[in-house]
Amino acid sequence: MTRRLDALVALAAPVALVLVIAAVGSQLNPVRQLEFGDALVSVAIVVALYVFVGNSGVLSFGHISFVAVGAYLSGILTLGAEQKNLILPTMFGVLRHTTTSTAVSLVIAAAAGAVFALVAGIPLMRLSGLPAGIATFAVLGITTNIISYWDKIGPGVTALALVPTNGIWTLMTGALIAIVVAFLYQRSPSGRKLRATREDPQAAQASGIQVHRQRLYAFVISGALAGFAGGLLVHELGSITTNQVSVELTFTTLAMLVVGGVSSLSGAVLGALLISGLNSFLADAEQGVNIGFQLTLPTGTRLVTIGAVMALVLILRPSGITGGREVRLPRRWRGASASRELGPGA
Amino acid sequence: MADRVLELREVEVRYGRLPAVRNLSLHLDRGEIVGLIGPNGAGKSTTLHAIMGLVPLAGGEIQLHGSRLRGQPEDRARAGIGLVPEGRHIFASLTVEENLRLGLSARRGMEGADEDREWVTGLFPVVGEFAHRVAGTLSGGQQQQLAIARALIARPEILLLDEPSLGLAPLVVETLFETLATIRDGGVSILLVEQRGALTVRFADRTHVLSNAELRLTLTPKDAERGEHLTAELTAAYLS
Amino acid sequence: MTFLQSLIDGIGLGAVYAVVGVGIGLVFGVMRLVNFAYGELITAGGYTLAMLSGAPGIVAIIACFAVVVALALLQERVAFRPLRGASPATMLIATFAVSFLLQNIYLLAFGSRGSTVGTLGGLNHAIAVGSLRIRWITIVATIAGGVLLTGLTFVLNRTMLGLQLRAAAADFQTARTLGVRANRVITWAFAISGMLAASVAVLLTVQSPLVTPDYGVSVTIFALVGVVVGGLDRLLTASLGGFAIGFATAFVGDLLPSSGSVYLPSVVYGLVIIVLLLRPSGLFAGPRATAAERV
Repeated sequence: MTRRLDALVALAAPVALVLVIAAVGSQLNPVRQLEFGDALVSVAIVVALYVFVGNSGVLSFGHISFVAVGAYLSGILTLGAEQKNLILPTMFGVLRHTTTSTAVSLVIAAAAGAVFALVAGIPLMRLSGLPAGIATFAVLGITTNIISYWDKIGPGVTALALVPTNGIWTLMTGALIAIVVAFLYQRSPSGRKLRATREDPQAAQASGIQVHRQRLYAFVISGALAGFAGGLLVHELGSITTNQVSVELTFTTLAMLVVGGVSSLSGAVLGALLISGLNSFLADAEQGVNIGFQLTLPTGTRLVTIGAVMALVLILRPSGITGGREVRLPRRWRGASASRELGPGA
Repeated sequence: MADRVLELREVEVRYGRLPAVRNLSLHLDRGEIVGLIGPNGAGKSTTLHAIMGLVPLAGGEIQLHGSRLRGQPEDRARAGIGLVPEGRHIFASLTVEENLRLGLSARRGMEGADEDREWVTGLFPVVGEFAHRVAGTLSGGQQQQLAIARALIARPEILLLDEPSLGLAPLVVETLFETLATIRDGGVSILLVEQRGALTVRFADRTHVLSNAELRLTLTPKDAERGEHLTAELTAAYLS
Repeated sequence: MTFLQSLIDGIGLGAVYAVVGVGIGLVFGVMRLVNFAYGELITAGGYTLAMLSGAPGIVAIIACFAVVVALALLQERVAFRPLRGASPATMLIATFAVSFLLQNIYLLAFGSRGSTVGTLGGLNHAIAVGSLRIRWITIVATIAGGVLLTGLTFVLNRTMLGLQLRAAAADFQTARTLGVRANRVITWAFAISGMLAASVAVLLTVQSPLVTPDYGVSVTIFALVGVVVGGLDRLLTASLGGFAIGFATAFVGDLLPSSGSVYLPSVVYGLVIIVLLLRPSGLFAGPRATAAERV
């Protein structure tokens, strides 16, 4: 009983957080709304990253590849025929002649993310630790390199622009879908098995869990969510360049996950919202804001600060602000039986 | 009063929540060999690791010459504690000579280094004979000798030995124990963790039996003469 | 003829990459840490040289070494020492964070447009051998690379510090129980890798003098291939791997038409992945289970 209640709270807390952010955001002026929209897209990306990294304990620097593919594909699909002829004249026929609604383009983006993750994951899931980190980084390098120059699949070196944008409620829905999928996955038998391999790979393997296969499942689901989140991103911004879906985004999303706490869904959501907030504040401050007094920070302070925050959290509290635990009811509200449960990551 | 070199007082070690050593008190005087026996997982190796500073204490304290032992493993090596770990842990890709030279890292100064080297090569002629061989090519027994020689070349006051007889033929074990006695006579106090219970009880000045993280029994060579009684007592202690 | 010319250019760059590979491999060997922020050491050297472009060459170079070694030691002390013993993934994220942090500090301090290094610019002059043009820097880089690697090999094989470094790389814990001081060995590893990074900065800024905040990134990533193949115990293959990648970058980049050479990073990254898949347990095999982990 308490277990089920715990699970419900673990889902409800991040969902409530996202609802509050969207509701608050919708009341603000358009510029602020953009920042809140940004935060919601970040939630979706970080949750996607969490599905793999958090549950498997294996590092990935490559998830932004899936975001990039999702963003470009979803953006291109929603452009009208004339716009395509204008900015994408050299593109493959199929892509040039197809135009879909945003919703359909998001589904296709998710599918593309899943397929890409499957193809990349089949060989890469054999790796863990350092090799996994470096190999996934290499995947990112290849993806951005190819998108940047191959003008048959995208706009090449120029930006993909004129993409129709969506409001904060769509972005909220997207973030919620990502959270629910992540939650369902981590409660599923497959998710539980993968979490077991995170705690003790040898023991898990000995008890018959196929580590590679479980990792691959998570990688594909995570890739699908990342592609989907990429679609959200492009429909939030209205345009995209490869620089926006490369090392910097990899870094900030990893920072969000690490700061929140790698091994919990609540951590992923909380980290995404906190760092997004900090990010927006610092970006404003670089332009000059009034917080009782006029504050203007030199350009570049934003990323230096986020880098420093991430490094500090890694050194001082490697398990993140949530400690890698899901949100739970305070002990006195819960049955005595629940107190026997072991804390995660012990 | 005897010259007390090492003293453990109510030492506690935990791995996570699991106690690995509980309330352990024992001491080692100058020129003594003290045995530590017990079943697998009883906490014998952990005790050595705690002395060496490889695992943190959860309680109690360890004293070297009456003052509290602190610091990293390398500090303790420099304070005169040598560890011969279980499985020897020689550097297989380095030569025998290089392995020995690493042992010199624990020395504060190089005075007397030559005599100590002679002493060590006298005890273990093999390390002189095969000085330029790659250590990984030595036999198990030879590797064990190298591991002890490597620890001794820094002239430690205390030698911690973790199951030195593991995997060795009985005859080799006998020679090894004789050499340990010679080392003791050279002024080194030895704390010897062993699986071979009866042999250790006969050989060591005192032997403590650990089981389930606690000290159950202390035996002396006199107890060894009691034959079957000893076996029964040991079995009872092991199972407790 | 262009073929031979490209070959010669390739050797100059290959020598530089070989040094980078060894610099990364050395720290990895001792600490099991792939320092993504190694490139930022090279960048720091580049900026130092750029700021001292007017000063006599020897002054600029000495300053470059001082700054880079100091930054390497600072990285170790502030960021990596507290994380010693953390999981490889955490350490990798940490070096990534340090790399990112430093790049943005450079951006903040020097802007994105880049600073130009004038030190040793004269080395770009070429001597003509038949119809071939051999730039002085190619010769200097090749010799410098050779000298640095020989010197390092000497230190590793002939000195007590070198012995301790090799022992620490093989089994750190046992080395410590023998009295090898962890902090000292690691500090030295970082100091030496810093010296190598400073040398790289001096050589590389002659060939590409415009220093930007991400100056050292691609060199570092590419040279990682060398480290992936080799390692501290295989210093030779680490440097050869680095050399091969540097060589290929210059050589293939020269020969390919520009429409193809823009994909060179993809080829190199692809190579990284293949090497990792073929040798996942080679260099990157975790340290042996230490005695302390067994009860």
